[in-house]
Amino acid sequence: MLRHCLTILAAVLLAACTPEGETGVEGTLLFRDRPLAGAQVEVYLKGEKDRSTLPFAVTSTDERGRYRVSVPPGRYFLIGKKKETAPGGQVRMLMAECPANPLEVAAGTKQVAPFSLREMGRDGALVPDRDTGVAGRVTAGGEPLSGAFVYVYTEGASGLMGPSYGEAVQTDADGTFSVGLPAGRYFLAARKRADGSRMGEPQAGDLNGTYPGNPLQVEKGRTVQLGAFALKAVDAGERLERLRQGKFARTETSFSGRLVDQDGEPAPGVYVFAYLDSRMVGKPTYISAPAGDDGGFRLFLGGGGTYFVGARSAYGGPLEPGEWVGTFDGQPDHGVTVRRGESAPLGDIVVREVW
Amino acid sequence: MIRLLALLAAVLLPAPVLALTLSGDTRWQGAIDFAETVRVESDAVLTVAPGTLVTFRGGGLEVAGRLQADGARFTGQDWDGIVLKGCGAETLLHDCIVEGARTGILVRGGQPRLEGLTLTDNGVGMELRQKTDASVSGCSFRNNAKVGLFVKDEATAAVIGSRFEGNGRFGAYIYRALPRRFSGNVLAGNPTGLMVSHFGSDPRIEGNRFEQNGLGILVDRAAKPVLAGNLLRGNGTGIRLYRRSDPRVEGNRLEGNEVGVSVAFSSYPLLVGNDLAGNGTALLLEFQSSDWERAQGSVAREAQASARGAFGQSSRSEVTEDERRPRQLSGTVDARGNWWGTDGTSELARIGSEGNPSFIEDGRDTPTFVDAGKSYPLDRALFAPWSGKPLTTDTIDTP
Repeated sequence: MLRHCLTILAAVLLAACTPEGETGVEGTLLFRDRPLAGAQVEVYLKGEKDRSTLPFAVTSTDERGRYRVSVPPGRYFLIGKKKETAPGGQVRMLMAECPANPLEVAAGTKQVAPFSLREMGRDGALVPDRDTGVAGRVTAGGEPLSGAFVYVYTEGASGLMGPSYGEAVQTDADGTFSVGLPAGRYFLAARKRADGSRMGEPQAGDLNGTYPGNPLQVEKGRTVQLGAFALKAVDAGERLERLRQGKFARTETSFSGRLVDQDGEPAPGVYVFAYLDSRMVGKPTYISAPAGDDGGFRLFLGGGGTYFVGARSAYGGPLEPGEWVGTFDGQPDHGVTVRRGESAPLGDIVVREVW
Repeated sequence: MIRLLALLAAVLLPAPVLALTLSGDTRWQGAIDFAETVRVESDAVLTVAPGTLVTFRGGGLEVAGRLQADGARFTGQDWDGIVLKGCGAETLLHDCIVEGARTGILVRGGQPRLEGLTLTDNGVGMELRQKTDASVSGCSFRNNAKVGLFVKDEATAAVIGSRFEGNGRFGAYIYRALPRRFSGNVLAGNPTGLMVSHFGSDPRIEGNRFEQNGLGILVDRAAKPVLAGNLLRGNGTGIRLYRRSDPRVEGNRLEGNEVGVSVAFSSYPLLVGNDLAGNGTALLLEFQSSDWERAQGSVAREAQASARGAFGQSSRSEVTEDERRPRQLSGTVDARGNWWGTDGTSELARIGSEGNPSFIEDGRDTPTFVDAGKSYPLDRALFAPWSGKPLTTDTIDTP
């Protein structure tokens, strides 16, 4: 009996080792109905892509827009993206989640239907399908709210904050809004800041809300009517608590050190940022509390790994005159590796004032 | 109501109070101390009576509603300052002193009126941002550690009749903004009186007086303001045009400066109708070459664009190279139609349009310069025809 079982097990293992036993996904990425070469395909284990985790697998499309990536049997989420320079010279980001997510990979290579990337961000809003989108009315205290911004995000992982939204519109005098979108799945948030601005973290007293029906599924040729979308004032205490629980949360893994100016004097009030991406662009994965009067900082991390570390006196938006900025220069790429549970000393990080 | 009672108690009792939110109409008078931020909600009105002394030992004053303050003093040490968030024209600060803050007054959007204020000994005296259309008039920006007045972020504010004196780095700094007026101001004794920087900063700077600054006006990084009818006297350099800055410089009087106008790194202004008499050097060209621009200009600008990413790795794409590049490269800077003084005019009459005027330093004096091991020809100034008489005697109207 034992010999029989071992024979069956060996057969299964052998089958798994053969090319016929390889599992994965393959398909084609498009942009405006044409194959898209040189795009990146990222495979995640979770649908709500956590930016603190790297993709499980990554590949690129060939000149015919095709990709193929080997993954073990399981459940996966695909995202396609490409940063490129448009014919007019502006840089644009193309991106889309695979509409077939999640993908169940059991045996062999799963064929994924072609899907199109969309133009994202400030250099190009989402390109709507005809007669397709979302409409509603933003309220506060039961009253229509004019001048509020409604933000359309294609991912929920950002916490529906920050500049990664695909589209933003402002409500009319009666609080109504309407935004054209391509068919897909979206997350909506709305805010009205006291200073009337479109960007920036909501402050105490600003009106803020995320749509309770997120994510919204928008089908081609149909405008989803949301009805009332209620906002509430941001409470100062809740905001502080959220900051404490969020990027400033204490963990057992951290970097520590001191921020100093070019004369070696402490640079209080400057934040330290940690990125997983060596380009150090966009939103950092972790942010420290402002450095103390002695320039000392501790940056808490979600886990071990290699992080790319910079420091800046403000966060969000382009670098402006009067800001302090610097990088960890222990390595040319500003990277530093820490193991889970460790507190790694970084020494002094020198920051300079930019004019 | 409880909050209001707490505030009244705070007014009556000398002990500092903690964070407060004002949701109704409130009047401050006498001497008040705060230890944390006071917020004025969007429907609330805070009135600060003349003679009131408001001291912040921490935090600051955030106003989303309306603030009306006349003759009050807001003070503290390294406090947050006053933040006006989308306040309308009903918000009026008049004849107040704001001192000791990191940023004395930060205006985010809205149209508040800021009149006759003194902003002194702050990190930054006042910062106008987020497209604010504020009105700043008759204010004094003195001895602020970095900048007297920052105008940023597409602000369209008017800045008139104000004085900027003895600030640490810049009297005023216009960064990616388009103030609808910047006139009738005096900028004196600052390292740089006025900085106008970055593509998109194209305001009209008119009828101001710049005296005893290291640099009177510095235009940098593809900004294209109009500098008209200003008086620049006794500065190290009157006007410096740097890194692709192409302003129109017209009808100004520059006198008693070590250098009148300095032009460097692919800047191609139009200098016309100015009085440039009585400066050490009237016009100075440095590192200014059409050949260099053809060979290195776009590369240098790309490096600058990359550096705009906070950590040096990213490139922002808001401004294209096509927008920043010079339209024509003739190896000359246009300085025709200016008055160079009585002695200068005599000299020009003697040497003619092909001569080398002693008051202009350009490629006639220093034929080449070296950058990265390669030699480039220095541009020349076009100065003929010139004016035979002063041009601004009757036109300059500065405070």
